[in-house]
Amino acid sequence: MESRTRVLLLTRALVAATLLTFSLSGCAWIKGIFGKKKTDEQEQIAREQTEEQEDNAAAPRVIDPEVERREIKRPAIDTENFELGAYYGSMSVEDFASNPVYGVKAVYHVTEDFFFEANYGKTRLGKTSFELLNPGVDPLNLGSGRPFTYYSLSVGYNFLPGEAFVGRKLALNSAFYVSGGLGSVRYAGEDKFALNFGAGYRVLPTDWLTVYIDVQDRVYNSDIFGTTKLTNNLEARIGVTAFF
Amino acid sequence: MLCAILATPAALAGKRDYVQLFVAEPYLELKTGPGRGYPVTQVVARGEAVDVLFRRTDYFKVRTERGVEGWASVMDLLKAQYADGSNFSIDLGDRNGFRTHSWEMGVFAGDFDGASLVSGYVARSFNDNMKLELTGSQFIGDQRSGYMLEMGLAQVFAPEWRWSPYVTIGGGIFRVQKDLQRPNLVDRNDETAYIGLGVRYYLTRRFFVRAEGKERVIFTSRNDNEELTEWKVGLAFFF
Repeated sequence: MESRTRVLLLTRALVAATLLTFSLSGCAWIKGIFGKKKTDEQEQIAREQTEEQEDNAAAPRVIDPEVERREIKRPAIDTENFELGAYYGSMSVEDFASNPVYGVKAVYHVTEDFFFEANYGKTRLGKTSFELLNPGVDPLNLGSGRPFTYYSLSVGYNFLPGEAFVGRKLALNSAFYVSGGLGSVRYAGEDKFALNFGAGYRVLPTDWLTVYIDVQDRVYNSDIFGTTKLTNNLEARIGVTAFF
Repeated sequence: MLCAILATPAALAGKRDYVQLFVAEPYLELKTGPGRGYPVTQVVARGEAVDVLFRRTDYFKVRTERGVEGWASVMDLLKAQYADGSNFSIDLGDRNGFRTHSWEMGVFAGDFDGASLVSGYVARSFNDNMKLELTGSQFIGDQRSGYMLEMGLAQVFAPEWRWSPYVTIGGGIFRVQKDLQRPNLVDRNDETAYIGLGVRYYLTRRFFVRAEGKERVIFTSRNDNEELTEWKVGLAFFF
């Protein structure tokens, strides 16, 4: 009995010793594994650092990235839609004969077809039949200057654009146009609301110069002789304008 | 002599830089004039460059590498490219331009307290909504005739709408030429201020119609100020 107890105790002691040995050796083994891994990482980093240093020493940077980017500024395109010029011609003011007329004209070309036009012109009133038959009489008290001025704001339309051939070698751009608008006339100290319409023909010797002839009818109600009547006042003129 | 005179503006302008474009389509047509009615006399092949000299309405005067000059339409030139390969772009007279533009001008006709009214205006845009307007008007009536010169602000509520309403406020000078009710008028110049309501309607290309009504006060040198109503309709364009 005693021997069996002793054997049992010895066996337990042996098992315990074995387990203890294993546990200690296991820890060492595990420790060995992790310890070795850490060493590998350190070696790797060290190796990389060394290589990097070697690289830096071997190939210094030659491209400097701080180069200023060149600013490209595109030139603006000049627009030449405005036209400005002067004209001279003859204007017939109803009941007051025909007289020379001169004026200024400004045009803005909105599209290839349509344009806006402003005119300011000046002429002189001629003598009425009554004044011709009775020299020295001025029944309307018009004075000596007898000025007649007008302005108009019109819209025009270019039609039949093309080329006018001058001789065999020269072709000039040209266009017919019609225009109409409104404005006023001023004479004998009175302003009258006027409508105007007409047509013209324009030739361009160069891209910036225009020579034109045009005819306008200025229509307004006149009451200078006591009764109101609609008058048509024709104006024919030749002019020059420059594009800018 | 004539040639020298005709060449003067170019000589005065001196040498300047032009936009250079490269033809990206099979060819670019050049006309003799700025319009669809003018004949095509030259073409520029793909890959060749043109200098853009100036613009007139929707046509551009260009010069090729060989020195040939002609007119190219904006629609054709929009297919050309800059040297860096990016597409040429430029403002067009279209619906988008109706919303965003720098300048506008127009002509009105209407009624000013029984007198006929003729007026013209020019406006500068601060942005799509706000515009500064300068208006010159003449009113011609049986009783009274005169002029007005005014400056005001216009606020367009929805510039992207085809019908876009606006309000306007401003003031200026009121000059009487004739007044039958007051034939012995001493002070012919007065100040005036107005508030108005109107609508703009986009027609086509660069054109639109404007219609507006204004309530106006004239600060006379007499005992009472005058209040007058003004109505007008006009045709305008932007650029």
